[in-house]
Amino acid sequence: MKSAPNLPGYVLTSAALVALLLAAAGSLFLGRVNLSAADLLHGVLSPNANLAGLVVTELRLPRAVLAILVGASLGLSGAVLQGLLRNPLAEPGLLGVSNGAALGAVISIYFGLAHAFGLATPLLGMVGAMAAGALTFAFGRSSTLTLILSGAAVSSLMSAFLALALNFAPSPYAAYEMSVWMLGSLSERSWDHVFLAAPFIGLGLAILATMGRAIDALALGDVQAQSLGIHLDRTRVLALLGVGLCVGAATSVTGSVSFIGLVAPHLVRPFVGHQPSRTLLPSALLGATLLLLADIGTRVIHTNTELRLGVLTALLGAPFFFWLVVRLRKVAP
Amino acid sequence: MKPALRSAVLGLAAAAIVGAGSPVAGAGRPAPTRMPMRIMSLNLCTDLLLLQIAPKSRIASVTFMARDGARALFPGLEIAITVNHDLAEDIVKARPDLILDSTLGAPMTRAMARRAGARVVEVKNANSFDDIRQIVRQVGDEVGEPARAAALIQRMDATLATLAAHPPPRRLRVVAWSGGTAVPGKGSLTDAIITAAGAVNVAAQPGIAESSFGVEELLVARPDALLFGGATLGQPSLLDDEGQHRVVRRLYAGRRIAYNDIAHTCGLPQSADSARDLRRALDALPKRSPAP
Amino acid sequence: MSRLVAAHLTVRRSGRAIVDDVSFALEGGGFVALVGANGAGKSTLLAALAGLIAADEGQVTLDGASLAAIDRRALARRRAYLPQNPRAEWPIAVERLVALGLTPHLPAFGGLPGGLEPRLTEAIEACDLVAQRLQPATTLSGGELARAMLARALIGDPQVLIADEPTAGLDPRHSLDTVGRLQALAAQGKLVVAAMHDLTLAARYSTHLMAMLDGRLAAFGPTAEILTPGLLRRVFGVEARITGDAGEALVDYLRPSG
Repeated sequence: MKSAPNLPGYVLTSAALVALLLAAAGSLFLGRVNLSAADLLHGVLSPNANLAGLVVTELRLPRAVLAILVGASLGLSGAVLQGLLRNPLAEPGLLGVSNGAALGAVISIYFGLAHAFGLATPLLGMVGAMAAGALTFAFGRSSTLTLILSGAAVSSLMSAFLALALNFAPSPYAAYEMSVWMLGSLSERSWDHVFLAAPFIGLGLAILATMGRAIDALALGDVQAQSLGIHLDRTRVLALLGVGLCVGAATSVTGSVSFIGLVAPHLVRPFVGHQPSRTLLPSALLGATLLLLADIGTRVIHTNTELRLGVLTALLGAPFFFWLVVRLRKVAP
Repeated sequence: MKPALRSAVLGLAAAAIVGAGSPVAGAGRPAPTRMPMRIMSLNLCTDLLLLQIAPKSRIASVTFMARDGARALFPGLEIAITVNHDLAEDIVKARPDLILDSTLGAPMTRAMARRAGARVVEVKNANSFDDIRQIVRQVGDEVGEPARAAALIQRMDATLATLAAHPPPRRLRVVAWSGGTAVPGKGSLTDAIITAAGAVNVAAQPGIAESSFGVEELLVARPDALLFGGATLGQPSLLDDEGQHRVVRRLYAGRRIAYNDIAHTCGLPQSADSARDLRRALDALPKRSPAP
Repeated sequence: MSRLVAAHLTVRRSGRAIVDDVSFALEGGGFVALVGANGAGKSTLLAALAGLIAADEGQVTLDGASLAAIDRRALARRRAYLPQNPRAEWPIAVERLVALGLTPHLPAFGGLPGGLEPRLTEAIEACDLVAQRLQPATTLSGGELARAMLARALIGDPQVLIADEPTAGLDPRHSLDTVGRLQALAAQGKLVVAAMHDLTLAARYSTHLMAMLDGRLAAFGPTAEILTPGLLRRVFGVEARITGDAGEALVDYLRPSG
């Protein structure tokens, strides 16, 4: 099996950072409205309020920041889960957390709580995510296999309730809006969304970032990892908590965005010698970059109706699965 | 003239009038020879037309959404009519002889209706005041109340004429926008209403993409006011939530005008009232144009 | 020298006692072979000795301190455990796999500190893995993987090594290689406890023998003394013949006992 070059840590991280910065710059300079780079810069620097400055500081910048936070959440969560479950097909949705977040947010909209106070939707999204995660953990804590199965069960349950909410939507418009929200989007997000989600995402990322040592040891299997001093229970709880917080907050503000959490760690892994702890930071950076690029795509590809972010990531992610299968066919007997 | 002969003559005359004046958008069936006694409506827009034109005694059933819709348009109105959910079973129960539906009605329902022996009349979606006149006349003819329909049209035209006779000093620029999803552009009823109110629909201008008109496009277009349909039928939906981008809130505080969704989605005589309300709201706007 | 003591150790699963009131004292410098029929409770006993599963009754102490009371990382530094047929779940390089043995010595973040690099090289050389150093662990042969796992266990310089069937699935040459290393470890003063199915190897290389029968300790003592046909008849239900002594002993199975 031909393996990718095993790059020193700093080379990979620097490359990922450069890619991220380029994508972020693209996100600021590109949009549905054509404004030249000179105009934009001039606008930002000018002390008077002006259109270009407003577009950058109030529209594109918070959108880019949110894309980075959400993309990093998805990438890092995927990397941690793949390391924890020793399965390259694991992704944040596996534990039922994304569906739980979607359900929480949809409930907030359905019952009009979003009107009561602005924080309602993201907060309920996070409550939903944590509830789903807790349920998964309660049923699946005994082993890795039961964790996966429990996550699938919780995911289905949340899906069922989402379908129920759609079925009994208070009006046809509400049903349409719920469906469309679930397709995922970063458009029209403001600093409000950033300030709401950032603390939870930050906390979640911080928790997940500490899990490197544990998932490395898990490369030897549960028992050997335990013999090396790793608390399996605590590790699973931390993983669920971290994933629940950041994926929950992310899904609450953007809707369901798929495949980033699956693809980013996968692309990174060959370059770090398949070592789980070394996939963490690059996955976060690559996840952020991929999401930024997808978001730019939704703005630059001309469509009549808004091309939704989740749709674009799904359209690009599904072929990735096929590519995986083809590769596997070549390798396996 | 003998009573029996008189009835016959009246009946023939009615048939002649009805036969001459009804453009049936449905299956090309011959005009009714007698007034329908059990009229059923399967669509909110036809509900509201029906309720204004036909007497309650001849209405068998309207959709479950009609109550809220009617209240939104005619505050204080109570309708005590059987409601249906646009299902085949409802048709069987109501035993109608005339069914009003939109052109997008479910094929199954129509098949059921034909088997039940009822005529199905499809009322198209109105995209202009001309369309509204056409469909009001159509429904009036189908249900046997052409005079009532004519009266409604007359009132609507009077309102429009008043608006046209007193144009505003400046044609303000507006757009019906609630957060980046489809924006009514050229050729939509909202566009007609905006024009009737003496304003300019920014989304109908050349060079503007109708759908996905986001905040960026909004900032560039710089309309004088934003229209929003608000929550339809009083139920919460995302439209309210997403429209609250900080920048929009700041720049358009006090410059957001709510309109009754129903009068824009369904072509009704009340759509002219919507134009009149819009004019009043635009007249009441503060003079200053939003910066930057 | 370490002292590992089990006192009335009992482990139950679904009401049944898998390990039933087992008591013994082990000391560094010994290579203890744990033998018994399938299902006799060997793996469970080893896991309990390693502190990986809790005792339902009784306790295990290491140098006087109960295993349950010792901090996990501290315990991990003092004893190493190898399960049966250990596997690598990711195709990481052999050197990374061996370095994982240093996990209890490392802080939460960061790669291998420069100071520990020589130890890694040493461990790799000691187990003859220099040629495979950068090879993905999942592509190793059975013998190479066994050595790599052993290197992983020994790199932390533990006082106690507990191994479950370390020669399972290995060809004769690599089996001999493995038990030879275990014997050398014991000679250095470490305590080695290994479940073994190959009685000939146990007879030749181990210093002490522990035999389990239905969860109870059937016999424990110096190998030369207690490994007798009578024991084998009791524990395995086979008639056996033991010839030769010390390094040339041979255990022959003749037939099942009546």
